[in-house]
Amino acid sequence: MILGTVPEAVVWAIYLAPVASFVVIAALSRTARFQGTSEYAGRITIAAIGIAWLASLWALDSAIGNDGESLAFAPHTWATLFDLNVTVGVHLDGLSGIMVFVVTSVSLLVQIYSVGYMEGDRGVSRYFASMSLFTAAMLGLVLSSSLLQLFVHWELVGLASYLLIGFWFDRPPAAAAAKKAFIVTRFGDFAFLLAVVLIWSKTGLLDIAAINDLAVAGGIGAAVLTGFTLGLFSGAIGKSAQFPLHIWLPDAMEGPTPVSALIHAATMVVAGVYLIARFFPSFEAAPAQILDLVAYTGGFTALLAASLGIVQTDIKRVLAYSTISQIGYMVMALGVFGFVAAIFHLFTHAFFKALLFLGAGSVNHATGTFDMRRMGGLRGYMPITYWTFVIASLSLAGVFPLAGFWSKDEILLDAWKYEKPLFVVGALVAGMTALYMFRAIFMTFWGEYQGGEGSDDEHAEVHGEPHESPRSMALPLLILAVPAVIAGFFNLGGGFSHLVEGALPDELRHGPPDIYGGIVAVSLVMAFGGIGAAAAIYHAGRPSAADVRAKLGPLPRVVEAKYYLDFIAETLIVRWILNGVIQRAAQLVDTYIIDFAVDQFAESVRRAGDAMRRVEAGYVQGYTSLFLAGVVIAVVVIAVLGTGVLER
Amino acid sequence: MTVDLAHYLTVSGLLFGVGISIALAKRNAIAVLMGIELMLNAVNLSFLSFSRFSGAFAIKDNPLDGHVFVVFVLTVAAAEAAVALALSVLIYRRRETVDLDRINLLRW
Repeated sequence: MILGTVPEAVVWAIYLAPVASFVVIAALSRTARFQGTSEYAGRITIAAIGIAWLASLWALDSAIGNDGESLAFAPHTWATLFDLNVTVGVHLDGLSGIMVFVVTSVSLLVQIYSVGYMEGDRGVSRYFASMSLFTAAMLGLVLSSSLLQLFVHWELVGLASYLLIGFWFDRPPAAAAAKKAFIVTRFGDFAFLLAVVLIWSKTGLLDIAAINDLAVAGGIGAAVLTGFTLGLFSGAIGKSAQFPLHIWLPDAMEGPTPVSALIHAATMVVAGVYLIARFFPSFEAAPAQILDLVAYTGGFTALLAASLGIVQTDIKRVLAYSTISQIGYMVMALGVFGFVAAIFHLFTHAFFKALLFLGAGSVNHATGTFDMRRMGGLRGYMPITYWTFVIASLSLAGVFPLAGFWSKDEILLDAWKYEKPLFVVGALVAGMTALYMFRAIFMTFWGEYQGGEGSDDEHAEVHGEPHESPRSMALPLLILAVPAVIAGFFNLGGGFSHLVEGALPDELRHGPPDIYGGIVAVSLVMAFGGIGAAAAIYHAGRPSAADVRAKLGPLPRVVEAKYYLDFIAETLIVRWILNGVIQRAAQLVDTYIIDFAVDQFAESVRRAGDAMRRVEAGYVQGYTSLFLAGVVIAVVVIAVLGTGVLER
Repeated sequence: MTVDLAHYLTVSGLLFGVGISIALAKRNAIAVLMGIELMLNAVNLSFLSFSRFSGAFAIKDNPLDGHVFVVFVLTVAAAEAAVALALSVLIYRRRETVDLDRINLLRW
């Protein structure tokens, strides 16, 4: 600990600085002074996230000084409604300290990169306002002390991702992708909301730490805890793009590339991993099958997405499937009690995945396409992008001694200890990861230049020779390359473990990681095997890609069709079941029951009105006649019944 | 045959019936006004009859109440007739008709 204990106001500033940036840009963009200009938006965003980054350093420092244990900031009452007491507060411990550091660091570099990347776009101020909101929502999510506060920010992350994925909303695929991302994650969010309601109705608690404490103390029944953790896990499946709700993430590539970098590295998809980690004590206290489910869902997703990554031709989609696969890795780690391993992998992954996306954006900037078949030979034209991309790929592939090696190794170790089949899955995925990353490198940067330009250009300008990107784009690449190399060393002495495990109760801590030589060997063999295979097929051409394809029979076609999962989701579930059966049934009920009742009611009112309309014709003499008739009737009634009727 | 209250009231009732029939059935404004005058006078007749035969109802204190009412009714009727006739003349000048069905500018 270098500085004193962080005051609560500074922790709040981490969250409020980007919020302020969002509000200010949104307000200024409509004023006459700033209309049509764009530089100010980038500067405000960078300044705000810079402030948040500095504040997060202090917060992280304090968290380290406190051994990762939660710093006691009392929650503030926000609203009280009968027995529902909604509090807001900041929860700072080793886990959230690391998370705010990762989010602000990656976001800051992405914003700097965006200034160059988005230059000349008409919606720059809207872009930076949304980016500020996105970052703010993620920081708010990470720092939340109350489940409800977390849920609100969880939804805000969804909203901001919708705005950013659909940033170029005049392109139909982008608009569709934004909608898909929003609706698919909503399936998970719904279960999450049910979990919030369930835990509140059964325990009356919304405070995260209190829920975890009660769960660990055995104060929550097994059934309730099962429902609660399942709901949370469903939310995580949606946000973190796990099977079967992973289908939104590859489509989300329609957004600007820096947005993808942010979504994949620091915000959005890691929110699900963070959610499970935040409630890890509850997950451990729940019946063991829950964590098994988490582990196998993650492992299956990792394997599925890695295989899909091998057949993509769009460089961003390779990275998208890689993210799904790596997030699956983290989820799998959580399922095999690898709390530290998962967060450590999240930490290292954030840097090299952001670097990869920014590299892909840089390539697009130079060539005007994301199609790797139209690239090639770029390593001569853009050395910075090439070398940083290679470093990030080596790190992702898990090559010693880069960051990804250490975190992947911890996950494999935990899988070996607790769930042997998942170790096999993890090792396989490691090899496939190396294969698809180096396939991408050989297709993009080696061989002959294929001309670039395609229908997916994110920039309106005409491209000639490929060129290195401007300094504001190259600089973040270089900076990110540093943690992509060294981030793995932070846990060599168990420092990272100690920090993050401070968020857990004592009995759940495992202490510093061990290193098993055998596992290191397996992991390295898989990594170099994957790289070697990629080099043989996509560089040397012995055997050529076509030969390999022919040998594998129908398998490549199944994979290229995404295992028909998109078909199942879109045609079978959406078009046939939802649009076909359910919509048809709903339509019948609507037409013949609800509409019929409403129509009949309206018609009867209309008929009554039609009848009574004739009375109100506007003739005074007509009214008087009715009045006279009324008097006559009254007189007759009185005459028949006697004057007694008047005395009621 | 003595003429008692019932006879007066019968005449009054018939008069009122004739008046209201005219007021409701006629389309001519002047005729309607005449019908209203008939109704007013029918009421006057009832007032006077009740006043005259007040002993039959054991109302002893103010036998002149009915007369006072009649004076007021006559006054109001005169004023009403004056205003209504003036309006009719003005409307006739403008629209060349006093048909009530056609004086409908303010109708919805």
